[in-house]
Amino acid sequence: MSRPLSSAARTSSSLATPPADRRLPAGESLLDVRALTVGYDGIAILPALTLTVRAGELWAVIGPNGAGKSTFVRTALGLGRPVEGIIERRPGLRLAYVPQQSALDAIFPISVLDFVLMGLQGTGNVLLANLGEHLGRARAALSEVGVEALERRQLRDLSGGQRQRVLMARALATDADLVFLDEPTAALDAAAEQEVLGLIERLRQRRGAAVVMVTHLVEDGLERADHALLLDRDHRVALAATATAMRSAPEFEHIYARFVGRADRQREGERP
Amino acid sequence: MTDTGATWHELFANLGIFRDAILAGGLAGALLGFLGVHVVLRRMVFASSAIAQAAALGVALSFWLPALIDPLGHAAGHAAGPGGHVIPSPLFQPVLWAIAASLLATLVFIANPVRLHLTRESMLGFVFLASGAGAVIIGDRITQDAHDLTAILFGSAVVVQPSDLYWVGAAAVILLGGHLALWRALLFVGYDPLGAEVQGMPVRALNGFLFVSVGLAVALCTRALGALPVFAFSVLPAMTALALTSRIGLGFALATAFGAFSGVAGFAVSFRAELPVGATETGMAVALLTAALVWRSVAARRDLRRARQSASQTTAMTGGTHA
Repeated sequence: MSRPLSSAARTSSSLATPPADRRLPAGESLLDVRALTVGYDGIAILPALTLTVRAGELWAVIGPNGAGKSTFVRTALGLGRPVEGIIERRPGLRLAYVPQQSALDAIFPISVLDFVLMGLQGTGNVLLANLGEHLGRARAALSEVGVEALERRQLRDLSGGQRQRVLMARALATDADLVFLDEPTAALDAAAEQEVLGLIERLRQRRGAAVVMVTHLVEDGLERADHALLLDRDHRVALAATATAMRSAPEFEHIYARFVGRADRQREGERP
Repeated sequence: MTDTGATWHELFANLGIFRDAILAGGLAGALLGFLGVHVVLRRMVFASSAIAQAAALGVALSFWLPALIDPLGHAAGHAAGPGGHVIPSPLFQPVLWAIAASLLATLVFIANPVRLHLTRESMLGFVFLASGAGAVIIGDRITQDAHDLTAILFGSAVVVQPSDLYWVGAAAVILLGGHLALWRALLFVGYDPLGAEVQGMPVRALNGFLFVSVGLAVALCTRALGALPVFAFSVLPAMTALALTSRIGLGFALATAFGAFSGVAGFAVSFRAELPVGATETGMAVALLTAALVWRSVAARRDLRRARQSASQTTAMTGGTHA
């Protein structure tokens, strides 16, 4: 494992174009999960799982409702105890979590800029010292996702697409090496959905971060992701594979084939 | 008013007597007004009510236990005249019992009762009802201190002890200082606890600080002012501020100012109109909130009307272009 990034290097650089020495080398192991079983109160809800998330990778976490996706994410983030197994993080790994929009309080009065500033708080900067410098970083993140004009607006007053962009801006501002996204395209129209998927791609390509994305868009997810994690509590499935291999996995076909096939047929029908 | 109430001149002439009560009302209003924004935004309004009731029970216990331990000495103290309430040991200082009971109630709030298949709200209901019933029952047992206890439960104390003012003043300075330093951190943890935890924020410690500071503030202010105005100050000024502004920093500042104003102006009006102090302070906070809600409602209608006019103008212009 290589040395952790220094905080000085992180804060002195501009957001949009991270210098080469701040980017993790592609393929660097960030999160190593070995024989992990997740569950509640010591009771496993999924079979054991082994996977490694590397710098620059995009993982799609797929599965039906109630499959255990959120439980896996919470455990991987360190918010819940594994029932068994090991989760090893790269030393100094910076994590960010982008919640579902619906998980955010719709009453809380928080401005867009204040929300993005939250991304700069955390280990070593609980009080958000040097606010002036951090304001610059927050504004740069907003600019990168194209919503700098909204900085004074209330997060609760934005459209779904705008709000998701602001959530992405906070993830960018954290300068995280590994970003977990919970249903980033839920409740968005098709155009906003594509914009958000584009932002995720940018986060990965330009910043070298790894992204783990819980998604209900199985086909889009597999199309864009390098790897996929299929979870299904009812069928006792916890399968990690490359996106290509996932499509032909019997477990995937068993759970998704009829939906995927139907979507493919619809697409065929739409073609002139 | 002059034949039934006092005059403003009398209030100013006797300011030396009432100064402590006015200061205590203002400081408690400011402190609880600030903390109240967290209380309201985190939907723990009922917590401050339950904690205030627990503090009142703590004070009631501090009155009752000395009488239980040494009934003759206690009665002799009261027979000696006003202010003869005997405290056999520093351990029976009412403020200590108020703090202890409040912190106990705060622990119930912090604890997660999911394992008992109960919600946090229902546990707070339990604390509120147990404390309220306990205070009334104990109040019935201690006839000699019943007046003091009634003052604490309903906030009818016209005069505040200097020691209570010092406690409230110290709490206001220390807790507000701590809260100003941790302001952004507490907002983050309150708004997005998962995101905060992932980014390495000490979520439990920050929440613990918030809950304990609310418990302490409620305990000390309840001892000085009574449970009713304390509950009012920890909810109503924050609601007023949040109805008036969407800017969170301004919201905290306004809530602090409205709380202080309710405490000071409420006391003055209660003196002028010879009304119960705590209820009048609460009424002042209610009046401010009512005015804010009316203003908000009018402003919302005006904004809607403007938006409709703007939309219809746009439609007319577009229609003209097409024609």
